[in-house]
Amino acid sequence: MTVAKIVISDEAFQKFREFFYRKTGIQFDDSKRYFVDKRLIERIGATGHTSFRSYFTFMRFQASGEELQALTNVMTVNETYFFREEHQFQCLVKAMLPEIVKTKKPGATIRIWSIPCSSGEEPYSIALYLTEYWPGIHEWDVELIASDIDTEILKKARAGKFSPRSVQHLPGNLLQQHFKRLSDGDYQISEDLRQAVEFTRINLHDPADTRPYRGFDVIFCRNLLIYFDDLSRRRAAEVFYDALNPGGFICLGHSESMSRITSLYKVRKFPEVIVYQKQEA
Amino acid sequence: MVIVKRKDAQAVQKDTQTVQKDRRSRQRDLAGLIAELSDSIPIARRWAARDLAKYAEAAPALVERLEKETDATVRQAIFTSLTLIGNHLAVDGLVRCLRSDDAALRNEAVEAMKNLPDAVSPIMAGLLDDPDPDVRIFAVNILESMRHPDVEEWLIEVIRQDEHINVCAAAADLLNEVGTEAALEPLEALKQRFPDEPYIAFAADLALKRIRGG
Amino acid sequence: MNQKRILVIDDAAAVRMYHRFYLEGAGYAVDEAINGIEALEKTFTNGPFDLYLVDINMPKLDGYGFLRELRRQDIRQAPALMISTEAQSHDKTLAFEAGANFYLVKPIKPDELLAYCRLLLGLGGAA
Repeated sequence: MTVAKIVISDEAFQKFREFFYRKTGIQFDDSKRYFVDKRLIERIGATGHTSFRSYFTFMRFQASGEELQALTNVMTVNETYFFREEHQFQCLVKAMLPEIVKTKKPGATIRIWSIPCSSGEEPYSIALYLTEYWPGIHEWDVELIASDIDTEILKKARAGKFSPRSVQHLPGNLLQQHFKRLSDGDYQISEDLRQAVEFTRINLHDPADTRPYRGFDVIFCRNLLIYFDDLSRRRAAEVFYDALNPGGFICLGHSESMSRITSLYKVRKFPEVIVYQKQEA
Repeated sequence: MVIVKRKDAQAVQKDTQTVQKDRRSRQRDLAGLIAELSDSIPIARRWAARDLAKYAEAAPALVERLEKETDATVRQAIFTSLTLIGNHLAVDGLVRCLRSDDAALRNEAVEAMKNLPDAVSPIMAGLLDDPDPDVRIFAVNILESMRHPDVEEWLIEVIRQDEHINVCAAAADLLNEVGTEAALEPLEALKQRFPDEPYIAFAADLALKRIRGG
Repeated sequence: MNQKRILVIDDAAAVRMYHRFYLEGAGYAVDEAINGIEALEKTFTNGPFDLYLVDINMPKLDGYGFLRELRRQDIRQAPALMISTEAQSHDKTLAFEAGANFYLVKPIKPDELLAYCRLLLGLGGAA
């Protein structure tokens, strides 16, 4: 018995495209047709459906939102590596920090939060970037907090051992200076950088966990909120709002936008990126 | 190396929920929080609104505050709490907001109701019948997130009967996404109901194409 | 002669498609946004635009909120056509106060749409 091959019609593609754009802000133009069709067919099969229509109805109406999350997962690229979305770090150093230090008294500490930190590439990238590219590092103390819900991945992050793939985008001189190549081919980050980040476990959905997080100047929350349902996204954005100092900044992933989350923040355009700012005092 | 890590102190600050330490501190129980909803400082009102989310009885107080609140950050917290409470008192309050002159209030109420499909479905039929066409449009908008077996039927009823063109337009738009063969004939009929309206023809044809081809 | 660029802001996909169809047909370059926040972002990244078509009722940031913020930030002060579902007089006043140049009630017939766009684009100053 042969199973009918699932085909995504033009209308189905349009329907999916509009729905996905509304939910996530991600736009797929016609050139992405193959990319999208392939993944849709994968999910249709994985959920035991035989047509786009039945799959779409199922996914659209599912109370838990799990399938939409799984679908979003396959439609987005999720790798973490050092200096991922580097333009945001450039913006941190060139634009955000200069604005922030104007509001600080001498001797104040600048506080940056990376969440989710996953295996540590993001917070260590920030530490590295500040060390190498921010002149202000010689004048200001910076505190780097990195959080995730997964204790196993936090252990990994604290250990500071990374694959060649993870460090491949680092300039050669930085890699040499701040990492040691191990016998198994992995790279061990320097002790100084390892000690520069405080890792904490947090469940963003739990107010008891999130309430103590206060007084941050910059938050990096990249490629997390896109996987939350509407209400959870909004609540997370509110947690971050309370966590930020007035005038503080939050950076989302490059394909994410506050337009799908909340109007709490002011949209700020810098040469490198769009970031979001809590209103100043 | 000037990236510091606090080895001695906690990485995160202790919870500081009171805004003014010299003020007699209020109890953060239901009565205390409701009182804080009228505080002169927006952040105190915001935290009070946020913390009231766990008190179902707080819905009327939150709705009452919403009607006077001018700070957007406080309003956002009130709407989130009303959504989390989600009882019929909260929903009644949200429905009242649909009639507001304030566009932001109306639209935030629609969003909140979209996040309360189960609490809203009992009153949906009534909203779709509201004398105000804008309220009926909002009702159709809210249907977008509703997981109810009658959603398509309601939309079909709208395009068959509603006299207001924009209510029908909103329903036709949603049928793009949720319409089945049952909607085909009503969509054709809709074009005849508003024969001189290019937008209706456009929206109906789009829905017809989507249903037939998808 | 530069192609004029129009940003269509409406939360309904079909409405955006309808406006896009006729505007592109008339030779304009069209971009879209689903609400006021995305409209601001698109203005920053894909702008400048020569004309804004602004729906009133949208989630997250409505048409008035968008216009107010646009007027605070946009040096060029490109014209804006506000679009409503109802012809309530207080909506009109609010629209002009927020920074709209004109106000139309949906649905808009294609020839009307094009005529008003032409009119407002003619009013817009040189870039």
